[in-house]
Amino acid sequence: MKKYTYLILGILVVSLFSACAPKMSTKLAKFPLMYEEKPASILILPPINESTAADAKEYYSTTIQEPLTFTGYYIFPYPITSEILKMEGIYDAELLVNLSLSKFREYFGADAVLFTTIKKWDLSYMVLASTLTVAIDCKLKSTKTNQILWEYTGTVVVDLSGGNTGGGLVGLIVKAIVTAVNSAVADYVPHARRANYQALSSIPYGKYHPEHNKDQQVQFIDQTPAANKAD
Amino acid sequence: MRKLCLGVLFIVFFLFVSTGCAPQKMYYFGNYSKTLYSFEKNQNEESLLKHKQELETIITESESRNLSVPPGIYAELGYINFKSNNFKKAIKLFQTESQLYPESKHLMDRLIQSATSRNNSSS
Repeated sequence: MKKYTYLILGILVVSLFSACAPKMSTKLAKFPLMYEEKPASILILPPINESTAADAKEYYSTTIQEPLTFTGYYIFPYPITSEILKMEGIYDAELLVNLSLSKFREYFGADAVLFTTIKKWDLSYMVLASTLTVAIDCKLKSTKTNQILWEYTGTVVVDLSGGNTGGGLVGLIVKAIVTAVNSAVADYVPHARRANYQALSSIPYGKYHPEHNKDQQVQFIDQTPAANKAD
Repeated sequence: MRKLCLGVLFIVFFLFVSTGCAPQKMYYFGNYSKTLYSFEKNQNEESLLKHKQELETIITESESRNLSVPPGIYAELGYINFKSNNFKKAIKLFQTESQLYPESKHLMDRLIQSATSRNNSSS
């Protein structure tokens, strides 16, 4: 009996530690400006696509609205704002990176704008599993001060295989078929959305979220590489 | 004995998993991302109609579930009406968005102004 108790304790301790092994930060320590400035509305800018996948931009931009809305901010409807920006000749945010953002406050009334760069959008097909690897770089900038309020740099890997279909050889074959079918249909919308949810997990909640202004001490895994902090 | 341990492990594992996916009940979004993607990918009458219907479903579903309609939904529906020259309906929807989410007022006023002048010149 004792032997097992130790075993369970051991596993618990290990699993706790393994969860803490990556660098943890609190939202307040990492993004103090979010709590100071309290932006209420966010304008999503058309993403910059540096990946080799041509349709990554569409996947990303049409699946970011929903997860971002759940963080509690007023998110300007992307289908409208992207069209207005297109009329102004802005197809992606590359040209805007070093410009003053006060124009977005004047035109849209936005408190902050979201810059995103898709670094990688890779689908890998294997016999038994397929994965979608998304590497993105997001920066939320204030339209008042041009400062970075929140940022995320990281890689999200989404498993595309069709869940667990049971063990044994038959299970494996079924799974291989399911994977093949899933990849063929190429419906990555839910996966792209899931990748976006994951990327947004460290953003402090906005005014429409019940946890607004209560999440200062919430910890998250800090994925920002130390070398990137300077920019 | 072994079974008991496995059981405990299972429960621990389950707790880990379940805390990660607590359902969010702030808004109802239906198939929004899906129909929007289809429309962006193939812009035609059919995909536009599907997305429009999805927006209408989100409004009625949100009401029946006692949730607020998510930001942008009324505005987007208004914009679709605007583009198919239903200016009066568009103005109404822009106003609803503006009342529900004051953050949108600035942009909605712009759109209402534009819809009003288009409506006056067409009638």
